[in-house]
Amino acid sequence: MECKFVPSVCSYCGVGCGVLFKVVDGKLTGTLPLKTHPVNEGRLCVKGWNIHDFVNSYLRLKSPLIRAFGRFIKTDWEEAIKITSDRLKDIVRQHGPDSVGVLVSAKMSNEENYLAQKFARAVIGTNNVDHCARL
Amino acid sequence: MTLKRMRFLQEVLDFVGLGGRLHMEWISSAEAQKFAQVVTDFTEKIRRLGPNPLHAFIQPDMILRPRVVAASGLKSTAAEKEDAKGSLPFTGKQ
Amino acid sequence: MKDQVKKWLESGTVDIFLGMKMVDGHPLPHAFTLGNISDLEELVPGTVRYPLETFAAELAAENPDARIGLAARECTQRALNVLSLWNQAPTDRIETIKLNCCPSPLKEHAACSYLDPPEAGLFKKHFGIDNAADPEAVARFEPRERFSRWMYEFQKCIKCYGCRNICPVCFCEDCSLEHKDLIGTGQLPPEAPIFHLVRAVHMAGRCIDCGLCEEACPADIPLRLLYRKVNAVVDDLFDYRAGEGEQPPPFNIIGERPSLEPKPMENGSACPQR
Repeated sequence: MECKFVPSVCSYCGVGCGVLFKVVDGKLTGTLPLKTHPVNEGRLCVKGWNIHDFVNSYLRLKSPLIRAFGRFIKTDWEEAIKITSDRLKDIVRQHGPDSVGVLVSAKMSNEENYLAQKFARAVIGTNNVDHCARL
Repeated sequence: MTLKRMRFLQEVLDFVGLGGRLHMEWISSAEAQKFAQVVTDFTEKIRRLGPNPLHAFIQPDMILRPRVVAASGLKSTAAEKEDAKGSLPFTGKQ
Repeated sequence: MKDQVKKWLESGTVDIFLGMKMVDGHPLPHAFTLGNISDLEELVPGTVRYPLETFAAELAAENPDARIGLAARECTQRALNVLSLWNQAPTDRIETIKLNCCPSPLKEHAACSYLDPPEAGLFKKHFGIDNAADPEAVARFEPRERFSRWMYEFQKCIKCYGCRNICPVCFCEDCSLEHKDLIGTGQLPPEAPIFHLVRAVHMAGRCIDCGLCEEACPADIPLRLLYRKVNAVVDDLFDYRAGEGEQPPPFNIIGERPSLEPKPMENGSACPQR
């Protein structure tokens, strides 16, 4: 019997509430708000309260999927990235760079967000960059 | 037990301001007169209390109400309570 | 306290001890075992509360042989009493160390996060209900205003189920708050006041007045006040106080088997006309 309490940050929105995971025998079994966290001060929304549910969900996506022949086919990252880049290049070539938009997220780090906008502006060549926290 | 449970429910409802709308009475199947009387009395009482204030809340714009109230600057001072029935923020239309 | 826990763990009185540990300035619940006995140095009473008794009850249910130690406040103790009454916690396998606790007259020594509830704002005081008010003060509002004030509080609810999730005495597998036939689901705010009153009625004779629900409520609904009133009614009618004594709660009794002596009715009628 092993029981651990692991403080973490909620992975849903950009607020970043502190959560406390209850881990019993290596399995996530419960989520609680972190009482001393300066952001949420011991409160959570319904999504935050149920983080342990989605972590253990059998519906969870564990590898990239490619849609081919009308259905999703499991693949590895190598191939998924290659197909994505090929399609992006195709689209940019056919319809111009402004046909692509890049949406970034508040849950990524500052540096990752910087890289994403750099990718949009320098590689693709569009100013269509948006961020979920701007809504 | 049932009597006490009903009493409990009455008190809880009264505490949130829905008092007097719940009533229980034991009536034998032979007491038609009493049944009619109780139903008439209770109907009269409910009529006096007015429509269920809850209906004013079952509206899609419910969540916007505090802002409306804040904008209209309504105050529940004693004088206002006396004359204006609908002046309280959440009583709805009367 | 550290020595006591150490003695317990080493002698095998308990296999696991649930207490608070200081981690990077945050007091967090921690399970102390023989394997990590050096962690005991950081065992603290803690200024915040987590429902340790819930963890203990869950651990005890999953591990039928485990003996569990617990750093218990007064509310923890009451919660354990209620849980054992409802057959949810095996008290013979749960040892407790009592902590100095609320409501303590010596505030500086009491380690309780509930001692200073935040003060209500002007708008809340005007249209809602002050969380620090007592039930009598609320009962003094006239019914229409009382209803309006309660509805103001209830319709702020974001239906996070936090009050239920953190509640140490809520243990049902199937919760009526999630039952679509009993309470309309998918709406926000939830069907007020049904949602809150259902929970309030379920708290009758069970709520131990720990205030964790109110602490966890993102909308600052005065839940503790509501449940306190509900429990006061239970005390009034059934002479029953949750968390004290060994008697089964009054709402647990079905049919004509009153194990409690009912209080004599005043004025002969159970349902006086108001």
